Amino acid sequence: MPRRNELEYKALTVISNNGNDGVLQSELWRELDATSREGSRIALKLETKGLILREKELYEGRWTYRLYPKRKPASLNSIIDSPCLMCPNDARCGAWGPISPHECRMLTAWILGIDQPEMEEPGED
Amino acid sequence: MLTFVDDKTLQKVAEAFGGEEAVQIVSVLKGVGETTDEEIALKTEIRLNTVRRILYKLYDHSLVGLRRSRDKTTGWFIFHWRLQLDQLAGFILNQKRRVLEKLETRLTYEQAHDFYSCFTEGCKRIPFEDAMELVFRCPTCNKLLMHFDNTDLKASLIERIDVLKEELGE
Repeated sequence: MPRRNELEYKALTVISNNGNDGVLQSELWRELDATSREGSRIALKLETKGLILREKELYEGRWTYRLYPKRKPASLNSIIDSPCLMCPNDARCGAWGPISPHECRMLTAWILGIDQPEMEEPGED
Repeated sequence: MLTFVDDKTLQKVAEAFGGEEAVQIVSVLKGVGETTDEEIALKTEIRLNTVRRILYKLYDHSLVGLRRSRDKTTGWFIFHWRLQLDQLAGFILNQKRRVLEKLETRLTYEQAHDFYSCFTEGCKRIPFEDAMELVFRCPTCNKLLMHFDNTDLKASLIERIDVLKEELGE
């Protein structure tokens, strides 16, 4: 049973990492060192759980499935360089507080995609 | 619980918490399941108090869990740490919501005001109402205040908000 869960996790990771290209079921099991029987059961289980999508595909004269992740993996990319992410003034930052997103220079720089000013006065007016 | 976070993202989160040292700590935790702060310090050659500082930061966001036991000989507590990968996706979502909130606050402010500026490095821009009271003179450098066009800023804000909303499924 633990092997099944472990395989499920690994399979999901591989499928997620392939994103919109999807991955062929037959290729996936080779990568995970599992049997095709084990493989198709796990794929079915992941589909039942609503985690992946299976699409039938003819590959080298044989029918197989291409597996796609249903949800995109959580990514931090869109906010990784945001000054708000680890701002030491976060607890004091609010719409009308002394520190506010209204005039925060670091936030402005991030919004405009320009170099961020020094951290010495984050959020200060 | 199956999580949808890859190693790269985990690394980025760790980096945001404490740079290269946090990345090393997280990678040790990822490999062992549960370990003590002293063992992490030994393996990474990072000072014990730095290891603890980073671990407590991660603990504040539930990204690591903690178990306490008592050393039978000294009577001191031993802290056993483990990575809580199932919390990572939630942490990322919360951070995105928080940033989105800030951006929306900013957009509302930008849309509600007309701004004036002297365009001198280091001087603040002034909303129209305040600029009127200041007779369109910068309170810092006394230069004349001119209209500040925030169209680009608003467009960039909307763009970033849309990206975050899409990612959050809103």
